[in-house]
Amino acid sequence: MIRNPIYSVYGLLLLLTAGYAEYSGWSLTRVNEVKNVPRSVRDNPGAYRSVYSGYSHYSGGK
Amino acid sequence: MTSGPAGLVLKVKPLICPNCGGTIVLRSFGQTVNAICGSCQTVLDATTPSLAVLQNFPKRARVVPKIPLGSRGQWHGAPYEVIGFQVREITSGGELYHWGEYLLYNPYRGYRYLTEYEGHWNDVKTIRATPEMISASVVRYNNADHKIFQQSVARTVFVLGEFPWQLRVGDPVTVRDYIRPPVMISSEATGGEINWSLGEYVSGAAVWQAFQLKDQPPQVKGIFANQPSPYDGKIGSIWKTFAWLLALLFLTMAGMAVASRNEMVFDQKYAFDSARSGEASFVTPVFDLKGHASAVEVEVETDLHNDWAGFNFALINDDTGTAYDFGKEVSYYNGSDSDGSWSEGSSKASLTVPSVPAGRYYLRVEPEMDSKSGATMFNSEAMHYEIKVKRDAPSLVFFVVAFFLLFIPPIYVTIKSFKFEGQRWAESDFAPVSSSYSSGDDD
Repeated sequence: MIRNPIYSVYGLLLLLTAGYAEYSGWSLTRVNEVKNVPRSVRDNPGAYRSVYSGYSHYSGGK
Repeated sequence: MTSGPAGLVLKVKPLICPNCGGTIVLRSFGQTVNAICGSCQTVLDATTPSLAVLQNFPKRARVVPKIPLGSRGQWHGAPYEVIGFQVREITSGGELYHWGEYLLYNPYRGYRYLTEYEGHWNDVKTIRATPEMISASVVRYNNADHKIFQQSVARTVFVLGEFPWQLRVGDPVTVRDYIRPPVMISSEATGGEINWSLGEYVSGAAVWQAFQLKDQPPQVKGIFANQPSPYDGKIGSIWKTFAWLLALLFLTMAGMAVASRNEMVFDQKYAFDSARSGEASFVTPVFDLKGHASAVEVEVETDLHNDWAGFNFALINDDTGTAYDFGKEVSYYNGSDSDGSWSEGSSKASLTVPSVPAGRYYLRVEPEMDSKSGATMFNSEAMHYEIKVKRDAPSLVFFVVAFFLLFIPPIYVTIKSFKFEGQRWAESDFAPVSSSYSSGDDD
């Protein structure tokens, strides 16, 4: 590792980043964050509309 | 008599060229066999008092040496003077190649040579021991094997200065070069005599500095036979480092997988009938997400068969009102046709919500299906599904990304090294058929 200090640092930074990402629960998935959703959703779930509602669906196999 | 650097005393004897009357200066007087007139390039016999003409030319193009004759410099810890220069040529693959050879002289250490081809320099000295012929393509010298690189017939096409041997323009000599970068062993065979020399690649900058030459050394073009690879010894070393880093990566990955909470915080089964009217969305009971901010995995497992379902989720913090919206479609189809049985999709799916802080959460779930769905229409069966929520489930995806990113530098160095060697051997008449040649890697 001493003979390749730049690669070693690069590799260790990668490991640290991967470890931190794993610890913090990073994900490649994109989710939409919405603030201040009213508490009334619990009583009336239909009053809240997800941004994903009504997106196109695959409708058949081969 | 003139005094050179570091106490070097040089005897300089001016003579007159019998061909043109020009002045000839001999710098290694007493050892010079042939001298060349700087004005008319006539080759003279310096061993005769009258300087007998050995070879003359009616009209010749003059080549200007890159290191002027008479230049003095410190080379290998001793003062040397450039006393001779010759241009030699070979024909290879129908093309003419020229290079220059400079003869250096020190009265106490003798002769050395500097050769130059397209900005590539070699420091050459003759060797008395004959290298051992291991095979037709390998010679051994100083316990090191050198591979044959080139065999050709070289001819001197231009000379200047003085030389301690008989030299004629146009005389052929068979040259064989064997390499082990940065070293080149060369044999020159002529008239039943074989002379061996050992050359070592040196930078033009080192030559320029040694002889205190003005301007810049000629620009380097291409890759020379014994030019040391900048990747020499690096391939093994970088792959060793890769192995260490890979081991560290697996250790870290295993440690993180063991240390992760991977706690099932919610697991509930539901059914959905698309034929039924009314609001499809509902909310789950509240569950606790503990610990530091980490990923939440939501998995949905269905009994779908040749059908699809869409799930719109919102993971909502019951205290702060922050919601994480996401959707997932599950579809599974299978059957058979003339090509045989087939299947497509999966009856279950999962999605990871990144970096969710601790708190009390619930899920708002909104399942969707096509109301004309075959399974529900004809079988009047509802879709059954199970929702599982896991806290801090190990995903390891970033370790996989890191794994591939770790590969890039060693692969880059390996490719560059092979490319360098490929360019080197492309100039050889004895290029390895495959890439089995040594990269010069000593690790």
